[in-house]
Amino acid sequence: MNYSKESTLLYVENLSVAYGDKIVIKDINFVEKDVIRENNVTGQIIAVVGRSGRGKSTLFRALTGLVKPTTGKILIADTTTGIENDAKEVHEGDIGFVDQKYTLFRNKTVYQAFMFALRKKDISKEEKHSKIMDYLTEWGLEKAKDQYPNELSGGQRQRTAIIEQILCSGHYMVLDEPFSGLDVGNIQDVKNAFNLITSTHEYNTVIYSTHDIELAVELADSIYVIGYPTIDGKIEEYGTIVKHIDMKEINLAWKDFGMDHIEVVKQIKEVMLNS
Amino acid sequence: MKHLFKPFEVVSRNNRLLITLFWIVLVVVFWFISSMGERHLFPSPGQVFTGFTELYNEGLVVHIFSSLWLCLKAILIAVVISLIFTYLSTIPIIKPIANTLSKGRYLPLTGITFYLAILINDARTMQVWVLVVFMSTYLTTSLLSMISSIDQEEFDHARSLQCNRWEVLWEVVIKGRIDHVIEVIRQNLAIVWMMLVTVESILVAAGGLGFLIKNSDKFMNHGRIIALQIVILLVGLSIDFVLDYLRKVFFRYSKI
Repeated sequence: MNYSKESTLLYVENLSVAYGDKIVIKDINFVEKDVIRENNVTGQIIAVVGRSGRGKSTLFRALTGLVKPTTGKILIADTTTGIENDAKEVHEGDIGFVDQKYTLFRNKTVYQAFMFALRKKDISKEEKHSKIMDYLTEWGLEKAKDQYPNELSGGQRQRTAIIEQILCSGHYMVLDEPFSGLDVGNIQDVKNAFNLITSTHEYNTVIYSTHDIELAVELADSIYVIGYPTIDGKIEEYGTIVKHIDMKEINLAWKDFGMDHIEVVKQIKEVMLNS
Repeated sequence: MKHLFKPFEVVSRNNRLLITLFWIVLVVVFWFISSMGERHLFPSPGQVFTGFTELYNEGLVVHIFSSLWLCLKAILIAVVISLIFTYLSTIPIIKPIANTLSKGRYLPLTGITFYLAILINDARTMQVWVLVVFMSTYLTTSLLSMISSIDQEEFDHARSLQCNRWEVLWEVVIKGRIDHVIEVIRQNLAIVWMMLVTVESILVAAGGLGFLIKNSDKFMNHGRIIALQIVILLVGLSIDFVLDYLRKVFFRYSKI
């Protein structure tokens, strides 16, 4: 499948995070670029997999600016300046973050939550209202407009949490284990949400972690395996990227799950078991 | 029938009602039987009724409102103090003060009243402040526990929506937990209500239920004492019910 890579959307260099003496992640380096496909709006879907306790959540907290890196830097494309390839350091709120519980404000209805997410946008109240109504219609949430989180179904809650972040943050979205504990219907809902996000804008980038390797291979066009590295024959006790699989390069991105994907699943599982 | 004696057995609504009725009838029957004869510990229902009628004629309603007013004043002041310290406890430099206030609940009331007596002359004001000091320690303890039980995800969620730290405090802790504050007040009210009667009976000022108990106690009027206990219990339960009702009505999202 033909594609090309253009401007850099995410640049992570020499990232490490430590809490006191405990190094959680170290030497994390990766670059993600805008993928262009002819006659197709293609956002990026990046999966991060790894065994428990390897630092996936810490990496996500750093990517979203919720925790300050001990060393290194994280840059994202600054699309607000109009200058090509302009980049800025990531800060709280630049990248949307959805945790596995799909946390929402317990005291705000869906509409109030969306209005709150848009509070810093420089548009009129009417425009905000119309934008919210468009999202509610497009994502099938019209009936849940005036409901509180405890009155929403699992699927409605997921969609609300995702839209809230889209409205607030712009092009980037990090989801920590979005498929954890979901039934088949809810998993399909989240997959649809991914498609909707990535088909809306070229720069839209979804980064998610999962323990379901099949889902990572099926959905992502770039997969990072986080694990403990082996250096000089000794397994270190900090997380880093131990393997990167570019599904585009091996011609498996944007395709239905098949035998070749299963091969990749096997490879990833082996790397995970050894790290 | 057997299942009613089994631990963790789930019973139907009707059965629950029957069990409650059974216990009420049992208590009433026990009361009638135990208060028969010449020598008895509790006054008979008739004596209690007489006691109640006497109290009513002597202005029971006025005394109830006097106690309620005292309770309301003390609660308002204590809630404001406790909330200020609790909300500010999220700031590291203020946290030790809030923690110390919470630990103050282990201080004996006598010590507190001694110093308050030096500072305050008016008995009614004294009653209010004894209650305020006492309540603030308990309220602060419960409110601090309310904050510490908020999941980290809720703070992260607010931060990911570009809330600065003060907005996080406002949105997640203050606005997001108003219903919990009402619940904390409701839970602590029982202690306060109990303390209020004690304080009123120690520091006799402008009447109140505590004052009535003290008077009845002095004359060993058991019928009045039990009648008053029942009134105090019912007023306390009513306040509890009203607060719970208000929380449910005004905060639809509240499922505590």
